[in-house]
Amino acid sequence: MELEKEIFKDGMPKGYYTQNDNGKYVLETNHCWSEEVCVAVIVSEVRANIEKARKEVLSGLKSPLYYHMEVRQMDPKFLAKAAGIAVFRVKRHMRPEIFAKLKPSVLERYAAVLAVSLEELKTVPNR
Amino acid sequence: MTTELAANGKPFVHHHGAHCETAVTSALFRYQGVDISEPMVFGIGSGIFFGHLPFLKMTGLPITAFRAKPGAVFRKAAKRLGVDFVVKTFRDPQKGMDELKQVLKTGQIVGLATNLYWLPYMSERHRWNFSGHNIIALREIEGGFRVSDPTIGEPVDCTADGLEQARFVPGPLNPRGHMYYINSVNLHPDLRQACIKGMKDSCNAMLKIPLPIFGVRGIRFLAKKVVKSLDKLGFQEACRHLAGTVRWVEETGTGGAGFRYMYAAFLQEAAELFGSDELADLSKEMTAIGDNWREFSVTAARIIKQRGKEEETFAKAGRLMLNCADREETLFKNLQKVVKKLKA
Repeated sequence: MELEKEIFKDGMPKGYYTQNDNGKYVLETNHCWSEEVCVAVIVSEVRANIEKARKEVLSGLKSPLYYHMEVRQMDPKFLAKAAGIAVFRVKRHMRPEIFAKLKPSVLERYAAVLAVSLEELKTVPNR
Repeated sequence: MTTELAANGKPFVHHHGAHCETAVTSALFRYQGVDISEPMVFGIGSGIFFGHLPFLKMTGLPITAFRAKPGAVFRKAAKRLGVDFVVKTFRDPQKGMDELKQVLKTGQIVGLATNLYWLPYMSERHRWNFSGHNIIALREIEGGFRVSDPTIGEPVDCTADGLEQARFVPGPLNPRGHMYYINSVNLHPDLRQACIKGMKDSCNAMLKIPLPIFGVRGIRFLAKKVVKSLDKLGFQEACRHLAGTVRWVEETGTGGAGFRYMYAAFLQEAAELFGSDELADLSKEMTAIGDNWREFSVTAARIIKQRGKEEETFAKAGRLMLNCADREETLFKNLQKVVKKLKA
């Protein structure tokens, strides 16, 4: 409930066409309740994914690459195409022991696509 | 409404719009001196559409498009109004940015296709990997650009890096720095002819595409999928898919109810232009269809929130959608008949 109100308090209302009293269409910024609910579902899902990824990286199940991919709301297919690396390799690089052995040239490609520095790419925030 | 200056000092009036592409197109026209409203552009450019693309996924959810593909509305509207325009895409980001700077220096304002996730000024709820968002670059400022994003109330500053990232998102659905601007306009365009062309095109798109995922048949396809989704995916996952669909109906710059209200606004304007009562009636019917879509989205939200479990079911949501499909089919068939009678 709180999340819905919170994410819609960003000062960026969208415009919607509604009829005024004379039946003429005008632009207003009142959104529909259903929009709040559905956007909140998706935003909370994205947040949960990121948090889950962070925990998995910290417990050594996944490589930091997985976390940064989730932060950018990508999936392995998307990331593979963006970085120009085969999907199966990207999926392999999600394993921490393989990620640790990667060449700098490969890491740089990931860093450029995810818009993070090399240092950031190797770590996750430890809140 | 705020006034900004372009690079050559010509004033540009920023209007808040409902949908990014139509608002950008109408702003580009207004800047050149043709006063044309957003719904009008939407109608002339045949923006209304339906397509459900289960094989194309964004953040794990299939795409449900309620409008024509990005870029098409501008191209169609500009052609039908007899405008001399330029559309460009680039392979090399550097070239794309240089070209943008050069065009801005000549005093043009430029429409850009960008990715919503990478635009630095967007807030969290707007940020997701969708590469069809349109904005206008007004002029170059220190370290960035002044841009007018019609879905936001005011013009904003955007850093050059952020804009480059957003224009050239590598990967699938890359906008490739898609940019467009108008060289010169016909100051007295033939609106009536353009409207007729736009309406005919919309009717064909909604009724005649022989694939089950587009137009009216696409709505039925999705409705059946929604009904089945509970058994197929389980409650959690089905809710996620439903939320994804409603996001396309309400949120992605649709002006409410999947563009149906905006099209009703267009039909209303067209009715005034032609002095036709039949079009006015169709506009009312379109509003009713919009209400129907809204009812669907509210039902979906109630399912997700688990309110009134007895009456709010997936079957009801599917039924509402089928109802929309039937009514839209009749509406567009009637529109086809009405358009034939109109004189340019």
